[in-house]
Amino acid sequence: NSNHHCSIVPLQVGVTSQKSMRLLPALGKKATQKVEFVLLTHHSLLLLSVKRLSFQPVFKTLPGQKICRMDLGGALGTPREKIFVCSGSQVRGFTKKGKQFLTFEANLTESINAMYVSGADLFVCASYIYNHYCDCKDQDYFLSGDKINDITCVSSEKLPHLTPVLACQDRVLRVLQGSTLAYDIEVPGPPSVLELYNKDAGEEVLYGTTDGRLGLVQIGEHSAVAKWEIDNDNKKGGILCADAYDIVGDGVNDILVGRDDGTVQVYGFDSSNEPTLRFEHVLSESVTSIQGGCVGKESYDEVVTATYTGWVTGLTTESQKTEAAAGDEFRMSKETQSKVEALRAELEQLQGKVLQGREQYQQTTQSSTAVSAVPVFSINDKFTLCQDDASYSLTLEVQTAIDNLLLQSDVPIDLLDVDKNSAVVSFSECDPEQPNGNFLLATYRCQANTTRLELKVRSIEGQYGTLQAYITPRLQPKTCQVRQYQIKPLSLHQRTHSIDPARPMNRLSLVGQFSFAEIHSWVVFCLPEVPEKTPAEDDITFYFRNTFLGTQLEATYCKGEGHFQSDNISTISILSDVLSKEATKKKINLNISYDINDDSVSHTLRMIHPKLEYQLLLAKKVQLVDALRELQVHEGNASFLIPEYRSILDESASLLEEYKKQPAHLERLYGMITDLFIDKFKFKGQNVKTKVSSLLEILDNYDLNSLLEFFNDV
Amino acid sequence: MMVPIFTLKLNHKINPRMVTIGKFDGVHPCLTAATQAGKVFIHNPHVRGQKPAAHRLTQSTLDSDISLLNINQAVTCLAAGKLGPDTVGDTLFVGSQTNLLAYDVHDNADIFYREVTDGANAIVLGKLGNIRSPLAIIGGNCALQGFDHDGNDQFWTVTGDNVRSLVLCDFTGDGKNELLVGSEDFDIRVFKEDELVSEMTENETVTSLCHMHGSRFGYALANGTVGVYDRTARYWRIKSKNHAMSIHAFDLNGDGVVELITGWSNGKVDARSDRTGEVIFKDNFSSAVAGVVEGDYRLDGQKELICASTDGEVRGYLPASKDQKGSLMDSSSEQELIRELSQRKQNLLLELRNYEENAKGVSQTNSEVGVIPANTQLQTALSVKPATEVQRAHVELSISTPNETIIRAVLIFAEGIFEGESHVVHPSAQNLSGCVRVPIVPPKDIPVDLHIKAFVGGKCSTQFHVFEITRQLPRFSMYQILADPSAAPPGGRVSFSVNERPQRVVMWLNQNFLLPEGVETPNVTFASLRGRGLLSFNMASNGQITLRTDDIDLAGDVVQSLASFLAMEDLSAEADFPTYFEELRTTLTEVDEFHAVHQKLTADMAEHSNYIRSVLVQAEDARLMGDMTAMKKRHRQLYDLNRDLINEYKIRSNNHNALVACLKSVNQAIQRAGRLRVGKPKNHVISACRDAIKSNNVNALFRIMRGGTASS
Repeated sequence: NSNHHCSIVPLQVGVTSQKSMRLLPALGKKATQKVEFVLLTHHSLLLLSVKRLSFQPVFKTLPGQKICRMDLGGALGTPREKIFVCSGSQVRGFTKKGKQFLTFEANLTESINAMYVSGADLFVCASYIYNHYCDCKDQDYFLSGDKINDITCVSSEKLPHLTPVLACQDRVLRVLQGSTLAYDIEVPGPPSVLELYNKDAGEEVLYGTTDGRLGLVQIGEHSAVAKWEIDNDNKKGGILCADAYDIVGDGVNDILVGRDDGTVQVYGFDSSNEPTLRFEHVLSESVTSIQGGCVGKESYDEVVTATYTGWVTGLTTESQKTEAAAGDEFRMSKETQSKVEALRAELEQLQGKVLQGREQYQQTTQSSTAVSAVPVFSINDKFTLCQDDASYSLTLEVQTAIDNLLLQSDVPIDLLDVDKNSAVVSFSECDPEQPNGNFLLATYRCQANTTRLELKVRSIEGQYGTLQAYITPRLQPKTCQVRQYQIKPLSLHQRTHSIDPARPMNRLSLVGQFSFAEIHSWVVFCLPEVPEKTPAEDDITFYFRNTFLGTQLEATYCKGEGHFQSDNISTISILSDVLSKEATKKKINLNISYDINDDSVSHTLRMIHPKLEYQLLLAKKVQLVDALRELQVHEGNASFLIPEYRSILDESASLLEEYKKQPAHLERLYGMITDLFIDKFKFKGQNVKTKVSSLLEILDNYDLNSLLEFFNDV
Repeated sequence: MMVPIFTLKLNHKINPRMVTIGKFDGVHPCLTAATQAGKVFIHNPHVRGQKPAAHRLTQSTLDSDISLLNINQAVTCLAAGKLGPDTVGDTLFVGSQTNLLAYDVHDNADIFYREVTDGANAIVLGKLGNIRSPLAIIGGNCALQGFDHDGNDQFWTVTGDNVRSLVLCDFTGDGKNELLVGSEDFDIRVFKEDELVSEMTENETVTSLCHMHGSRFGYALANGTVGVYDRTARYWRIKSKNHAMSIHAFDLNGDGVVELITGWSNGKVDARSDRTGEVIFKDNFSSAVAGVVEGDYRLDGQKELICASTDGEVRGYLPASKDQKGSLMDSSSEQELIRELSQRKQNLLLELRNYEENAKGVSQTNSEVGVIPANTQLQTALSVKPATEVQRAHVELSISTPNETIIRAVLIFAEGIFEGESHVVHPSAQNLSGCVRVPIVPPKDIPVDLHIKAFVGGKCSTQFHVFEITRQLPRFSMYQILADPSAAPPGGRVSFSVNERPQRVVMWLNQNFLLPEGVETPNVTFASLRGRGLLSFNMASNGQITLRTDDIDLAGDVVQSLASFLAMEDLSAEADFPTYFEELRTTLTEVDEFHAVHQKLTADMAEHSNYIRSVLVQAEDARLMGDMTAMKKRHRQLYDLNRDLINEYKIRSNNHNALVACLKSVNQAIQRAGRLRVGKPKNHVISACRDAIKSNNVNALFRIMRGGTASS
């Protein structure tokens, strides 16, 4: 990527988490001001100042307990330059000289993972819990329905109080008033980050989601207004950090975004006030923090990013590149060289120490009493369902280069190739009949310097189990760590805010001697995106959407009773199988009843119809492309072809692209229609497995009416 | 940073690996490539202007710059160059599965058109050894054939499997070219004329070869590996998940040494240093790269590197000038260096932290970390396991820990014996123990290094220690020694004399077979675990070794392995493989039959085509006369004829495929007979067998295979 320009020598500090870097407010005149950043690694707080075109550490706290989050604060009306950090359930305050002035124990059972500071007010969140303290005294308390990922507070003349906004995993922003929920705002994906659009005041809150969407909402006292939303059409990574900063210098704050696939973006606003992409750059690892600021040369504003393994980098945008003076380039080069020399000296010293360490470690292998215990290395992983292609994406990131990865699964899944992966994948033979029950054994041998791997996995609903990843980094003594990911029975379902009540629905009801916690745990077992914690209410309703077919599911349950309804009969069938199996495991007798709506099957087939027709047509067109091209070469042009064929030739590139993007799409649709067929008659008490071959014949010469007829006639 | 000096969109598909540049009029270079529908296109942008300037290469006139050659057969290889002493321009050579065409593009005339029954998968032009005239050498199904400018067959030999790549270079450093042949049995063979002088075994089909400089050459395999050899020593190699479509040697950075340029299936082109394999330049096309060539395409005296993609996009790159040297990638290389050094620093810091934390010691209760006794060492053992009711015969690798630790999983990376490059054993949680047995079934008799990674820890650990061990699997590991060799010995045998003590042969046996207790005498019998019968080994006091087996390939492998162990340059042998020879005799008869059928079918087809022509004329006449009934009738006739023709074509093509298969097995038989000998006797057998086939003397053929010579 050529449209960026590093104007400052980068620095590596150590593994960082989300939102771990902040620019301290500038004091004094612009020409003489010091540019300083506070930065959190997993174990230390650092203050970096920008001097001579490079980042220079000013102080670093001693490594201690893992630090999660940070916020800047200060007495109201003074610059926000006090630094607050949280580790565990403790909050500490530091001055920018590195002096600790506050220790506050919140006495929460869980670790704080989000925090906001304003004057004497402290707002903290720990998984489901929200707490507000003023002058370290308890004020308000709130229990959220799902995990809280981030918090911010808005204040303006229009609002009576400082109003907290929580970003919750169940795709809502919860706006609080005291200890109660004022209202919630539905957002298109699980929100991961919140920022104020105007740092000083204003009701506008910027949010980013784990599936890569971005939006702005205006918070009112009783309701909110959605200002704009940016979809993730280009399938970029999830958003980890954002900042509002006027980087272009047009008087309007631009939006800076950092994503977990390494993408850095700057959105500006066009004349109609719509956000448009102004600048994009891709780093090799996830971007955990992003800030706008003036760091390199006196008059240029830049984007400063921190990444997972702790690289702090400054980027200028294209428009400013041309103005970079030759003198600066020269100074920069000199600065880099001295840095290189210093690093080399450091390396030499370290190498000596490491050799000593190795020797001592070797000696312990002679001892019969000594043990070898290598500390756990940190892995940044994410396993998420992608809405667009109904497949799971697994990303793994380690602070040093990955040597190899072993993937093992006890459930049938397909591993898809990801273009940007350079690792060599190799599938090992695995016989599921064997007692070891492996369905997938694959190794990835990584090229040097790979710290991040991205994989895609396609699951089949009804087949559930565990996917395990064993990651071995290139680090002595060699160790590997295993991570587990659940493939749930209804793995292609995703939470939504509501369902369409007009559809014909099938119902499944359970009655039995089970507790609320028990049935909740069964639902957690079956469906993704359900909070693990049993809801505080007496009963609960969740809505889901099948990302592949678009069918829906409603789950309502309480102690002793559960009701599930879906327009997809296969969903009901899977639920009924798994729930009764889970209940049997706990020796609980379930009274299961069904209310099957025969119209629902035709309805589902009609829903599949446009997808199927499109795929069949696409496959047919793609099949013709080569032959048509050959005819074109033979005849010298394509003018003799009928318009339909000519258009296939004209669109051939995009057709092939589309076809490549959705491998096995048709097979998946066929599989789901077959399941639908079997399940429909299963509920009638008939086994129609012998008739599947006739069904496949019909699908081979597909026509909606004959398919509907076949489903009805059997 | 380097950018293309020109870019062209040719609007024609390009078949992979079939791209060349020829100066057909002796002056103007033309990019020539095979495209769809059995055609070859020639791009000549220089034709109209007298002295066209470089900037003329623009997109607008493209289509009129291309002329198409109709070959009417699927093209399989393409080359352009000068063979004749007094020709003005380059000749274009086009190979297909059945023919080789030498074509004068300038005069639009065939120079020769030869039938090549073994097909032409690869072609190379140039001088070979002491053969006076330059040759067009084609590699087909197990055969190599060289033609001079007039189409005379000047060179012929056989090789182990279907040829996929060829290159000429002075491998031995004697000032004359040797022929390097890459084939589907994963071997790179070096021929000094028809004498095989060297053999390098790779682990996949060798798809491309290119000469770098001196005795150094580049190669590419079907599994995504590219690398560089200097003579028989591999300098470096890298493996990608993409496939190398085309490789070429070109000095892109202007340092006076060529780099290996690779065009990949994902559209990437990269240039790698011939010494280290380090990437010094890369670029990306939107579709797979079809070919990488070089030529002075702008006619300004400078050669460009020219890359063409399968979609017909062509880019030319000028080599870097002196002052630009070494900076093809990006200007921020200094920052790259900082990144690299910092990364190394981080790595060392982490390693140091590992030792420090380890020295501090941890509580035994923290079992997740995978605490193991420091003196844990893995034991590995290899043994031969014959087939049982539940499991087929295999070599067993057993790995065990000496204490209560468990092995969570075992990864074995090895080349050529697994489906992919690795094999994994991952016991289920209930079956975890301190011992893992890995069944291995090597498909071929080759020595293999097993790179073992074992994850060792506790039952509930989430982090494991990784033990890395390398073990070698001997060449003949799938053979079990028989304690009681009372079974009837196999009918096939090969015998030869060696001037060595029996102890040396015993040493070879112990090194190349999996023998739990070792053997002390060279008189042993093995059973093949692949179900290919017995292999018995006998050495008389006079140094006469007799090898009995019905598997002629195995006999050849044993002879070659033993001869190279004993450093024997020449070895003649007597052999008899009654079953195999009988099969071969049948095959030879079949070849004659297929030939006869082929001729008859060709005659039938000619007749049909004449008939079609006349019916077509009649139908057209009827249309002009307005006699629609007659016209319809004729068209119906045409329709029937067409159907017949298609049916006949199917028969013809089946017949042809059967014929090719038979010819391949005949070529393989010659190769196998050769492999029972070493050095000169080997070459003698191959050429004598070839003469026997040429003169259709079947009895002489078997005499040679048995005795090593035609006489006696």
